[in-house]
Amino acid sequence: MLKVTQPSEIPDAGLTLDADVVVIGSGAAGAVTAYELARSGAKVVVLEAGPYIPSDQFREHTATAMETLYQDAGNQVNTTGDLPILQGRCVGGSTVVNAAACFRVPDQVLQNWREQHGLDNLSPEVLAPYFERVERNLSVHQNDPHEVNYNGRLLIEGAQKVGIPAAPISRNIKECALTGHCISGCKTDRKQSMLVTYLPWASELGATILSGTRAETFEISDRRVTAVNAAASDANGKVKPVRVEAGLVVVAAGAVQTPLLFQRNKLGNSSDQVGRNFACHPSLAVFGEHEQDVYAWVGATLSAQAGDVENPLRGGYLLEAGMVGPVVTSSWVDGGIGRDFVEFMESAKKFQAAVTLIHDHNVGRVYLDGDRKRIEYDLDERDFESMREALRGTARIYFAAGAHRVYLPTTRRTTIESADQIDSVINSLTNGKHRYRMTSYHPQGTMRMGADPARSVVAPDGRCHDLDNVYIPDASLFPSSLLVNPQVTVYTMASYISDRILARA
Amino acid sequence: MPYKLYRRTFTKLSILSGASVLVLPGCSDDAVRPSRSVTLTADERELLERFAEVYVPTEGTSLKPRSEVPVVDNIEHAFALMDAPTLEQVRIGLKLFNYGAILIGLHFARFVHLSVEQRLAYIRRWEEGMEIQRGISTVIKKLVCYGYWKDIEAGRAIGYQGPVSEAGGIPSIGNAPMPKDRS
Repeated sequence: MLKVTQPSEIPDAGLTLDADVVVIGSGAAGAVTAYELARSGAKVVVLEAGPYIPSDQFREHTATAMETLYQDAGNQVNTTGDLPILQGRCVGGSTVVNAAACFRVPDQVLQNWREQHGLDNLSPEVLAPYFERVERNLSVHQNDPHEVNYNGRLLIEGAQKVGIPAAPISRNIKECALTGHCISGCKTDRKQSMLVTYLPWASELGATILSGTRAETFEISDRRVTAVNAAASDANGKVKPVRVEAGLVVVAAGAVQTPLLFQRNKLGNSSDQVGRNFACHPSLAVFGEHEQDVYAWVGATLSAQAGDVENPLRGGYLLEAGMVGPVVTSSWVDGGIGRDFVEFMESAKKFQAAVTLIHDHNVGRVYLDGDRKRIEYDLDERDFESMREALRGTARIYFAAGAHRVYLPTTRRTTIESADQIDSVINSLTNGKHRYRMTSYHPQGTMRMGADPARSVVAPDGRCHDLDNVYIPDASLFPSSLLVNPQVTVYTMASYISDRILARA
Repeated sequence: MPYKLYRRTFTKLSILSGASVLVLPGCSDDAVRPSRSVTLTADERELLERFAEVYVPTEGTSLKPRSEVPVVDNIEHAFALMDAPTLEQVRIGLKLFNYGAILIGLHFARFVHLSVEQRLAYIRRWEEGMEIQRGISTVIKKLVCYGYWKDIEAGRAIGYQGPVSEAGGIPSIGNAPMPKDRS
């Protein structure tokens, strides 16, 4: 449980708070920063737009979770409309609804950040102690054998047969109960999300956390934000003003909401880069049908990985063994219509399942169109080639593992019936809008970090180039996509930036 | 009307065909929060029923009978979660799909009045059609999937366990203890 001030507890006349630091967003970046600064003695206020939903209210029902815990009830999509972009919208943010996969940013990506963006400070050696700290705090460990379900074992066995590196995946989890409900929120608090770690720790150190309270405007004086004005909306639709005066502002609302907040306030954009360079790891699910039952949805949501994660810039891709319930199963891959669809769903328990991740280019943009947000992002031709390679690799692994049919995530049922069809089927796929059932779980890159203020929004120490007291520690600062699940890198960057803040104080 | 509708909406409907993991696109800024009651029109209900009838034919299978699942009511609930502009676009898309059968499909009848075979063939043409047709057909499929598979017992019929923690008596382990040091 967590001590949270909810909108119903705020007087109708509103609330004015005075703090050393106001943190906007309670997800991976906001929670870590709040804790690290509170630990140093700072008076911290956290503003979270989403509701506070304690874990005992989680239903282990994907559809319900989407409605209550996800941004736009799970319906946030790109402007084209063919790419759902999932984010948590609740106290704890996406850490509450992610599948707990943990990776460090590949060295090759850090090298690119140093060479292309002047981030000489972000070497593996500098970041290593920060990674170690957050991994220790969050019980990150490679899945033990009992945490690798049959679906995961099939991925590893198939990958080994075709010479693709594979291993159990690492997760931030303690005493996993193997319920398979990570993305609906961990009802028994095994997943070490911000809801049961950094937020209660920050609260214990005196941080005030407000839920249902959306930051809207900044008060600015001479390159400094002096106060944040927010709106707290209660269940009856009553909106109450909240004003927080603070010497330091941390914006950690995520790669979609952080740039929108800056755009709404016409702030921090001398580089014209706010909202640009959006990337999101467009992901595809692939199913392989076996003769025997697999029950891929039983056990750890993500159990094993395959692929060359150390070479994202050379076309490396990542496959993660995982599946969730039938609402998602039926939506991830087109099983056909009529009898085909029914047989597809009747066979779902025999499916081996994995999702693909690629290191996509930063070709997207987040912006306001009136009062509506737009996320402009279409799959780049270069990234489509990486995606095809990921599909090819997945199909090879599945057939090597014993599957007799592979289902591809196209918008019309597409199958591969034998290993010798892989190349011809995959080569026939073409890039285009509404051709694939993609999903993004990892929006990144809209407030690019870099040494050059003319080409970036955030300085190497996490401070906004244009403002003296505003820091941005969330995934929006990534100059390029990671390939791997970003949560641990976000925690790490938030820890690193917290130290830069404290060093400057 | 449908032809005019098609021309008018062709360039506007890109957002409509989102079809997220579960339901439909809704890209309001946070300032515009959807929270209201939405009632499907009789036309919308009939379209979704006729679509579900051919898309998920449960008769004679191991699936939970569709007649025992409130598929369309569940979709109505999903509509209530959308912001108003998105909902409007979705509704236009449903009309386009239904009335498109008259001229675009050259059936001279709405989708809901086609035979089972004609409806299946019509859906297949949209799956392979223009961008907007692929998008709309995917949206309707995902809506129906959501409406049907949201039902916990429908999942259990294919071997999905559904919620397990309470039934299994799995306790919470509570908050993690605060780290003792910062090193």
